[in-house]
Amino acid sequence: MDNIDLYAETNYISQTYSGKTESLRGIDMLKIDIQSAPPMVKLLCSGRLVLGVEAETLRCMATSRPERRVVVDLQEVHAMDAAGLGLLVELHCRAQRRAGMLTVANPSPCVRRLMALTHLESVLQVAGSAGIGMADDDESERCAMTA
Amino acid sequence: MEHETLSSEFVFTGDPAAMVAVRDRIMDFLHEHCADEQQEIDIMIALQEGLANAVLHGSRNDPSKIIRCTVDVTSEAITVVISDPGHGFDIGVAADSADDGTNLTQHGRGIYLMRSLMDEVSYRHGGSELRLKKLRRQR
Repeated sequence: MDNIDLYAETNYISQTYSGKTESLRGIDMLKIDIQSAPPMVKLLCSGRLVLGVEAETLRCMATSRPERRVVVDLQEVHAMDAAGLGLLVELHCRAQRRAGMLTVANPSPCVRRLMALTHLESVLQVAGSAGIGMADDDESERCAMTA
Repeated sequence: MEHETLSSEFVFTGDPAAMVAVRDRIMDFLHEHCADEQQEIDIMIALQEGLANAVLHGSRNDPSKIIRCTVDVTSEAITVVISDPGHGFDIGVAADSADDGTNLTQHGRGIYLMRSLMDEVSYRHGGSELRLKKLRRQR
């Protein structure tokens, strides 16, 4: 068993690499800021959207909202995996079944690249910030959740 | 390290929390050997997919199951081999589900992503051993 790590900790602490602005390794878990302006809600995500508690958090958050139009802003999401991509498709299909709409807004370069690789840019509705209109900030409900 | 091979082996249990920890440990090991940040992210995503498949499908989230991951670094390539205790899977079916934009299910993108991001992706032992290879570029 030389040179073998038996590693089963559950609370490993991430560290950011020195000299690099960001990497998947050092990216925080998912944080979601919510801006509600019925009938639309914007979920501003930051961190990583990957398999596990992060994807589950966004799923619970998005599916529990009463608004018919859900905007998932991924400008600050710098890491995503197949589970994260699958979740976006799941939410897109769910919105269609409910005569609603899911919009992916401001995908970061990393997210956009993965969406292009998996051809999801043609499936999901993707928009920049200019394409997303919200009510006046003061009138919208805001709260935040962190995974 | 022209003719040298740096190797490390990581062994962990078949639960998602352990997978995240070992993934970060592996990336710690690989960090200084990646050519740039993009290559590091590509390896990280592919590694995440491979480890997740080993936990979810190869071990069925069973913490009593053991997954082994060996990482070799040479001057030419970074190679990761993930072995799970499962019975493997039909590689042809999984490859057929590779994404062409018509996949509207939640699953079926992991292998496609790995193949898109790595230079070589291959399976042995009926699918219970995954080999990922990324050619190194000069830093």
